[in-house]
Amino acid sequence: MIGNDIVDLEQAERDSNWKRPGYLSKLFTSEEQFLISSNIQPDCMVWLLWTMKESAYKIDSRISKLREFAPAKLVCNNLIIHDNTATGNVTYNDQLYFTKSVIEESYIHTIASITLEELEVIKIQIIETKEHSLRFGNPDSVSHHGKFLAFVYA
Amino acid sequence: MSNEELIIKLKPIVANYAQDKLALEQINLDTDFIKDLKINSANLVDVILDVEEEFDIVIDNESMERMLNVQSAIEIIEAKLARK
Repeated sequence: MIGNDIVDLEQAERDSNWKRPGYLSKLFTSEEQFLISSNIQPDCMVWLLWTMKESAYKIDSRISKLREFAPAKLVCNNLIIHDNTATGNVTYNDQLYFTKSVIEESYIHTIASITLEELEVIKIQIIETKEHSLRFGNPDSVSHHGKFLAFVYA
Repeated sequence: MSNEELIIKLKPIVANYAQDKLALEQINLDTDFIKDLKINSANLVDVILDVEEEFDIVIDNESMERMLNVQSAIEIIEAKLARK
C-alpha cells in the first residue's frame, strides 16, 4: 500500500497563511514546529512536513476506512534533507511509514509506504493540468493540488 | 442557538475555503467539508481557527479530529458554548 501527496507551492502561498496565530500548533508537534522555525526556508519545511503527514494518512485511511483530522498525531521523524530530496518517517496509530520527498521550485511531492522495499520501487508521474479527473494507467494513489496532478504506481 | 442559526453563522466561514460553490449553496447537516465542499485539508485548520474566533471558543485537538462535517462541527460548537 502506497500513498502520495503534492503541494503546489504557489497555490499554497495563495491559499494558506501558516503564520496565522494558532495555525502551526494545530498541525505540527513542537519538534516539527522547531524544524520550521529554525529552517532558513520555513515555507518549504511547512509543506514538506505536511506532504509527509498527508501521504501517510492516505494509506491509513484507506486501510482503516476511518477519517479524522488529527495532523499533529501524524508525527514526522528522522527527516534528512539532501539537495532537493528528503527521506523520513511518519508514525501514526502505532504504524511506521517511510517517506521520500522531492522539493522543486514549484512543488513538493512525497511518497509513503509501510515498507522500505516498496518505497524504492514506486514510480512517479507528475503533470501540469487543471483536469483533475485525468488518469494514466491504474495508479495506486493520486494527488492533486493547484496546477499539479501526481500519480504513483507500486 | 438552533442548528439553523449555527449553519447560518458557519456558512460564511466555510465559504472562504469551499471550492464547490453549488455544495456550499446547499449546505446542510450532512455536508462534508472535504468530500462535498472540497475544502483543501490544509484549509480545514483555517475553518477551525475562524470558528474559534467567531464563537469565542477553544477547539481542542480531540474535538478537531471529528470536525469533518457540518453535523459534528455544530455538535462541537454547541458543547463548547454550553461550557462557557
